[in-house]
Amino acid sequence: MSFVTVENLQKRYGDTAVFSDIAFSIAKGEFITLLGPSGCGKSTLLRCIAGLTGVSAGRILLDGQDLVPLAPQKRDIGMVFQSYALFPNMTVEQNVAFGLRMQKVATGPARERVAEVLQLVELDTFAQRYPHQLSGGQCQRVALARSLVTRPRLLLLDEPLSALDARIRKHLREQIRQIQQELGLTTLFVTHDQEEALTMSDRIFLMNKGQIVQSGDAQALYTAPVNAFAAGFIGNYNLLGSEDASRLLGRAVPRSLAIRPEAIGLLADPGGDGEITGHSLLGNVIRYRVRAQGVSLVVDVLNRSAADLYPNGQRVRLAIEPGELREVA
Amino acid sequence: MPAERTAHALYHRTVVWVLFLILLLPLAGTLLYSLATSWSATILPSGLTLKWYLALWSETRFLQAFGRSLFVCVGALVLATVLILPLLFVINYHFPRLDALMNVLILLPFAVPPVVSAVGLLQLYGSGPLAMVGTPWILMGCYFTVALPFMYRAISNNLQAIQLRDLMDAAHLLGASTLQAALLVVLPNLRKGLLVALLLSFSFLFGEFVFANLLVGTQYETLQVYLNNMRNSTGHINSALVISYFFFVLVLTWLATFLNKGKH
Repeated sequence: MSFVTVENLQKRYGDTAVFSDIAFSIAKGEFITLLGPSGCGKSTLLRCIAGLTGVSAGRILLDGQDLVPLAPQKRDIGMVFQSYALFPNMTVEQNVAFGLRMQKVATGPARERVAEVLQLVELDTFAQRYPHQLSGGQCQRVALARSLVTRPRLLLLDEPLSALDARIRKHLREQIRQIQQELGLTTLFVTHDQEEALTMSDRIFLMNKGQIVQSGDAQALYTAPVNAFAAGFIGNYNLLGSEDASRLLGRAVPRSLAIRPEAIGLLADPGGDGEITGHSLLGNVIRYRVRAQGVSLVVDVLNRSAADLYPNGQRVRLAIEPGELREVA
Repeated sequence: MPAERTAHALYHRTVVWVLFLILLLPLAGTLLYSLATSWSATILPSGLTLKWYLALWSETRFLQAFGRSLFVCVGALVLATVLILPLLFVINYHFPRLDALMNVLILLPFAVPPVVSAVGLLQLYGSGPLAMVGTPWILMGCYFTVALPFMYRAISNNLQAIQLRDLMDAAHLLGASTLQAALLVVLPNLRKGLLVALLLSFSFLFGEFVFANLLVGTQYETLQVYLNNMRNSTGHINSALVISYFFFVLVLTWLATFLNKGKH
């Protein structure tokens, strides 16, 4: 049973379409990620759902109710912004309580709910601080608490982790996912970071040039890209034109091929047809650049011991599982 | 190296102090003269007294001029606040493209020299249905245009610093109407920028002479016009007036700087 349904949604500025014919549905409690490069229309789509930007055509149904004619105040949607958008003149407690104040919730119950939600984001001891006295990660947790306190039907997260450093980002994404699952909150998350999308989502909608090009769970998106864009955006796929693919595999390949770097095996062999042309250590993975049959490939190998490291110029034999070859449009 | 650095520091410090003393000297002279019982043929005054200040602050004409200046400046700034704040909000939130046009418009009061624009205003408002020359209202309107660039720029910078659009969007999604969001979220964050702009504009307008003298003159004598008219009276009283005026503006400027420092 779908809780959110988007039907033929369009957004145009004059003759320019930001997105067109967007359609999807989300079940209650699902965590959906809109993933795509900058300018693909994902943030505009989120703003349209929030009511902050008008739509040109189409419908947005939330629990059966059409949101399009409703003002943002009437949609019962919570949103977290990349810039936090905390009110600088208010303390953490006042920021979080703002939505309840607008709903005219009595002081006593409002205080309880604010305390509860601040505890949920582990900021209960920061209630009397002002936003400028908090770190970026803390600000984003306050923003999350502020959007949760009104118990919205749908939570929208617009690149909430983009302005944070890597360590805090990792911690916060785990925390967001945990809270979302605890509360069973239907969530739409926007990001351009594939790692965030793959680790957090129940399903991912991959967007490009105002269209959803592929949707599915992380495994499906990662292992079965439907086209060259999907293969290029998710992971570090080797994308080969049909000519290169035919030369590499020694047989006719009618379409372009996508091969995951970790799906290619390397074996040291002085008579092998491949040659290591470069390598870089990525921690637990060694990334090789290999040239075989005039085709350049990227190959990821697990870094098990120093003995595994092949020097540049080493001749190697390539082993590719036929099942890992993806034909793409 | 450290010796060279000390010598450099000493040189810079000396230059700054000498400049400071040069600028302070006329003011110190005026202050001393305003406190002197008499000071004519001697290096130092013959005695010190507060009688000139007492005389000045008990003179009705001075107090009236002071009050008129206050009235005109406060009126102009109230008008500026009431008109510019909503205008800036609308431009920044709804029509950000108009900001470029506004930046040109607010420079116009500076494009025409005050004497020239005063002549134009005299012709325009000297007679006819809008005859306002000689009344405080023309001065208020004129001061509004003079204060416009200061006010507009200060508040506009403040608005850009607070990410107006995101704050408004967040407030809307939390259930606030546009008016509630503007009053509860935006306005409190503009308070300091607005106060600084008001105080600096006030200091500037309080000392304005050209428009006051040409547009209203003695018909509505403001402080600067009074000072000009009193130039032939005793220098002690004039000195007390200048020092009083300077002290008043100094307190206002200090207040503006203090509020600006408190900004986060």
